[in-house]
Amino acid sequence: MNKRVALLLLLECLIAPVSQAQIKHIEMRVEGMT
Amino acid sequence: MKQHLGRQSGVQNVEVSLIDGKVEITPKEDGQLDPFQLLKATFDSGVTAAEMDVTARGKVVKDSSGNLALQIGPNQSFALVPNELSRGLDSLVGSQTIITVRGQLYKKPPGKKQKVDASTPLKLLILTVEKKE
Repeated sequence: MNKRVALLLLLECLIAPVSQAQIKHIEMRVEGMT
Repeated sequence: MKQHLGRQSGVQNVEVSLIDGKVEITPKEDGQLDPFQLLKATFDSGVTAAEMDVTARGKVVKDSSGNLALQIGPNQSFALVPNELSRGLDSLVGSQTIITVRGQLYKKPPGKKQKVDASTPLKLLILTVEKKE
């Protein structure tokens, strides 16, 4: 049981940083807009 | 243009300021946003994108050519334009550190109205490193 919990925690540590990665905001300057 | 951009995958909200020609795009919380598709959608709506700045979180990695890149998703990363700030991130390659950066992803070359070139991958010029976690 403890081994399973430890494995889950380890897996979370490996996956979490990539899943948190993302584009937060985009700002564009455009020309020719009416 | 607002509707056109709002229909793109991963877009939650689009704010357009006609006065200063600024468009602000808020991605969905868990959405995968493709900046190139946004540039293309902007052009398709009859407007020229002059500049695109992004704020992104990700891991510093090295791509297949050995250049630094910011990985912002399992299948999405942007090569970093070498500058003082990107050189300072070299030590984070291979670590689990997540960084938040603000940078320029696209700038229209000088000249007339120009379509976004699909053959040129977007490169991120880091302007500020906001956070390291």
